[in-house]
Amino acid sequence: MRIPKLLQAVLVLVFVYYGFIVVFDYILGAVIPRSLLTMYMFFATAGVFMVFTFDEQGAHELVAPIKAMVEQPRFRFIRNLVFLIIPIAVGYNVYGRTLPSFEAPVELRTIHPAPPSTAKIYGNRVNLLTLENPFRHTQTDDPELFAEYVAEGAEVYIMNCQYCHGDKLDGKGPFAEGLNPTPLNFQDIGTIAQLQESYLFWRITTGGPGLPQEAAPWISSMPVWQDFLSVDEVWKVILFLYDYTGHEPRSWGEADAGH
Amino acid sequence: MRQFLTVISFMLLTIGAFAGFSNLGIPQIEPAPPPVEEVIDLGSMNMEQFIALGDRIFNGKGTCTLCHNSLGRAPDLGQIGTNAQARLDDDRYAGDAADIEGYLSESLTNPSAYVVVGFGKAGSDDTESPMPSTSGGSIALSDPELAAVIAYLQDKGGLEVTVEIPTDVEVPEEEPAEVASGEPRAPFTTFQELADEFACEACHTIGEEAGDLGPNLSAIGASRDAEYIRRAILDPNADIAEGFDEGMMPDDMGEQIYAIELEIMVDFLSQLK
Amino acid sequence: MNTNKKLLSYGILATLVVGLLAAFGGTDLSAAFAAGEEVAATTGGYGPAPVTTAADYPSVAGANGRLVVWIVAQLHLWFAAFVLAVPIFVFIIEVIGMRTRDKRYDDMAYEFIKVSITAYSLTAILGGLLLFALILFYPHLFGYLSTIFSDSMFYYALLFFAESAVLYLYYYGWHWLQGGVRKWIHLTLGLLLNAVGTGLMLLANSWLTFMMSPAGVDAAGVFSGDSWAAIHNFLWNPINIHRFVANIAYGGSIVGAYAAFKFLTAGTDREKAHYDWMGYNANFIAICALLPLPFAGYYLAAEIYAYSQQMGITLMGGIFAWLFIIQAVLIGALFLSANYYLWCGMGRSDGAKRYHKYIKYIAIVLIGAFLVWFTPHTLVLTNSELKALGGPHHSILGPLGIMPAKNTAVNTMIIFTFLSFLFYRRSNKVAVVRWERAGNIAQVALFAAGIANILFLGIYHGYFTNTVYKVAASIPQVMTTFVVIVTSLVLDSFIYRGAKDVGPLHWGRIPDRAQYALFLLAVAFTWLMGLMGYIRSGIRQHWHVVDIMRDNSADAFTPTLGYAANVVSIAAIIFLTMVIFVFWIAQVSSTKTLPSGYWKE
Repeated sequence: MRIPKLLQAVLVLVFVYYGFIVVFDYILGAVIPRSLLTMYMFFATAGVFMVFTFDEQGAHELVAPIKAMVEQPRFRFIRNLVFLIIPIAVGYNVYGRTLPSFEAPVELRTIHPAPPSTAKIYGNRVNLLTLENPFRHTQTDDPELFAEYVAEGAEVYIMNCQYCHGDKLDGKGPFAEGLNPTPLNFQDIGTIAQLQESYLFWRITTGGPGLPQEAAPWISSMPVWQDFLSVDEVWKVILFLYDYTGHEPRSWGEADAGH
Repeated sequence: MRQFLTVISFMLLTIGAFAGFSNLGIPQIEPAPPPVEEVIDLGSMNMEQFIALGDRIFNGKGTCTLCHNSLGRAPDLGQIGTNAQARLDDDRYAGDAADIEGYLSESLTNPSAYVVVGFGKAGSDDTESPMPSTSGGSIALSDPELAAVIAYLQDKGGLEVTVEIPTDVEVPEEEPAEVASGEPRAPFTTFQELADEFACEACHTIGEEAGDLGPNLSAIGASRDAEYIRRAILDPNADIAEGFDEGMMPDDMGEQIYAIELEIMVDFLSQLK
Repeated sequence: MNTNKKLLSYGILATLVVGLLAAFGGTDLSAAFAAGEEVAATTGGYGPAPVTTAADYPSVAGANGRLVVWIVAQLHLWFAAFVLAVPIFVFIIEVIGMRTRDKRYDDMAYEFIKVSITAYSLTAILGGLLLFALILFYPHLFGYLSTIFSDSMFYYALLFFAESAVLYLYYYGWHWLQGGVRKWIHLTLGLLLNAVGTGLMLLANSWLTFMMSPAGVDAAGVFSGDSWAAIHNFLWNPINIHRFVANIAYGGSIVGAYAAFKFLTAGTDREKAHYDWMGYNANFIAICALLPLPFAGYYLAAEIYAYSQQMGITLMGGIFAWLFIIQAVLIGALFLSANYYLWCGMGRSDGAKRYHKYIKYIAIVLIGAFLVWFTPHTLVLTNSELKALGGPHHSILGPLGIMPAKNTAVNTMIIFTFLSFLFYRRSNKVAVVRWERAGNIAQVALFAAGIANILFLGIYHGYFTNTVYKVAASIPQVMTTFVVIVTSLVLDSFIYRGAKDVGPLHWGRIPDRAQYALFLLAVAFTWLMGLMGYIRSGIRQHWHVVDIMRDNSADAFTPTLGYAANVVSIAAIIFLTMVIFVFWIAQVSSTKTLPSGYWKE
């Protein structure tokens, strides 16, 4: 027997919905945020509607049962039932959403706030737009010296940073569990690989307290490293971060030349 | 008509859906308010704003960057933080400041108290500074303005800002920019007024005032005619006297002075023989 | 520069100012006059950019100056975009009509240009209103800009006269200049009209890009006197390209909505067929322009980054990042409704059934790509989700939030939209060439290879190489898309050489639902333009002219996105009301009432 179109549509949507949940939450082990899933379902519904109604026959088949239920006298009982259930379901949903809960409000941090054009670092006003890593040039000029700098940076990293950011630079250091937001995972393509070195210099030296207003809430526990490290040490750590992860710092000049 | 209303409702619903999504579907982040601008009202000013005021004076009214810039006409003040103490301790120091704040203050009003090697007036063996006092002459910074510049210099040099914001003085309302006022100034009538207004003698030697960043003009009329002088004022880079650098003199004099003032200057200078 | 010309343009401006102010008694005139004096004071030499305080922004009748300027500017821009776009495709349609000698095209072109005449005067009125609002609420800014752009403002006025003259000749001469050489003269007029219109847009663009990426002035804002440098500033060309393409798409969508409404209210089958055909063509133009638009936008964003990293991060990574999620949803809506319209349109042919079974696969890919397209980089997570994920970063969805994934998604969407179109084209045809099967296999292979290449580029360059190449990877992706589309079109034209028609095409045989897709397209375009206009202007933040002239008014703050969306929605409703008026007027002009017994016999 052929499944009626309306039922088909509903089944597809149910399948998609639980498909997402099963795949993400259980198979991949990374829950899909419910806010995102809601949006996904909205557009999945739009897509199903489009596919089922683009030709006359399909559209007719889709709405026929609904039409029949509303119009035909013999479905009176079902009609009344449906007209009762839908408002109750909607009302229950609204009630559930507005009910006060113990859940803390959702906090949203801007992970990469726009840097100020200048920042006060080590007592000097530094122009972040033009700031460059003074050791970066050795990468091409003097690879041996560069390797030495990287090694020094690695030492600084192991002594100071790995407790949170992890010895594999994956954000899973021994202290990471206790922090929220969790320390950044430098291996991830979405973190340092997207940024210029001057941005890292700014974030490392000024830490959580140096975040601009828009990055609120200020709950980052990143220390203000300019109080503990020297300028050269910070720059060498930055060399190490990129060297170890295999990322290249973002560079607009080269990217421009690319196209 | 029914069709029309349906379409209108559909469009309104669509717009409503877009607006609803923008308001409810995404988190509303309150962007940071614009950074505070320097307020002139000293009473309600915090140190950040006071330093910003100093920055503005340094780059504007104080005309400091005319010489203290990357061209090396005057010492680079970026290193003032490390240099100031060293200069205080230097044997050549002739002033009576006890701390860095005092040193900076003295440098602004009595620049010859310590002259950085190589920056002194020619022939003075680095005992006399070519810099004019910023509290007098054409620059004429008020005490609170001087304090702001010191605060700015301390901040820029990475020093602790020790200056206190003056509270018991009249508010030094900055001269509104020429453009904003729209009120044309009255022309000057004597050369000396003009020389003071445009600080000619900061660089040029004219009679008694001695500056040596630009050519000595004390007898300019003997060697150059009026036409040359006129051009030298309006377009200073057209001819550069030997031993001086291009681009030192402002090239916008033509926009700052009236024609009648230009003639006053040309007349006066061409008669210096 | 020529002082006489300057004086003349000031004269024109001053007359406008005084005239408008006189009509607006009881307002704070002094500030506006101060602006005039500024202009006068700086004619000799150029002064630095004015430094303003909150008191320099007049408050007029309690109105919020920023809101007024914002809404009026947006309305002006919508009408201008429409008015500039219509002649472009009227020209194209006229050419098609001349080549095919199908009079329907000529009639349709005439109907379009008729609609744009009223819109043209509304554009001018709104432009005047914008000027008025600027002078009234931002006298110092306007004064400063007019010292720099005095020359171009003068030429702008001249061009405006030229535009009017050519437009009237083009419109009123339509039926006069018909046939043979006359038609060619008419077509030349159309070309001229477009040239002048584009010139107008380029000039106006330079004023606003100057505010984003000032050039020809020093750090204090003192103008060097080089007008060309100020016009040819860093972001001028990227904006020009983006606006030019977007205008065409926008004009197409508005005309599409017009045709859709006429279709719904049509009384006869003949009329229905005509407006169905018109809607199809308008939609076709809109889609053709929509396809390259993401790339023009990408180029613009890349150039903004190149100009200033700070501005770039404000744009994409900072406070405006969520705006791009709204944008993604709207662009997705545009693509989906355009596709839906094409699918519905297949009902016009009796042979379309053959392709129905493929539609659901296209839909699945489109929706899938769309979901990737709007997945945000920063996810909204509840605390329990945060805990479950161990942090704000999502290992699977996170990578979907950055550029390579977006590029891959949008290229996929474009290829599949093209596929919808290909099916639509084929729906009424039966190929007669013997190698049809081989041809189809080649087509399938082409699409498969193209999509595989796009996926490979996206995944490999996006995740396995460093960032420098990540940006560059988008170029080969676009090229792949382009090659697939062009090759496929060429191949198809060979496969269907001399093809038989299944039957006559039934214009007008399309469900009413499809017309609503056209309405959605128009509304989404309008709203999206408003939103992107806001961000284009908003990334300047508290600057009138970036880093040169600071906005010290009470409204210098950047509002939340919800606030901006509400303003855009209100402006969009005003705009749609005005557009309905324009269409209604166009209809009224052709309606005649014959009262009996009213006139003397």
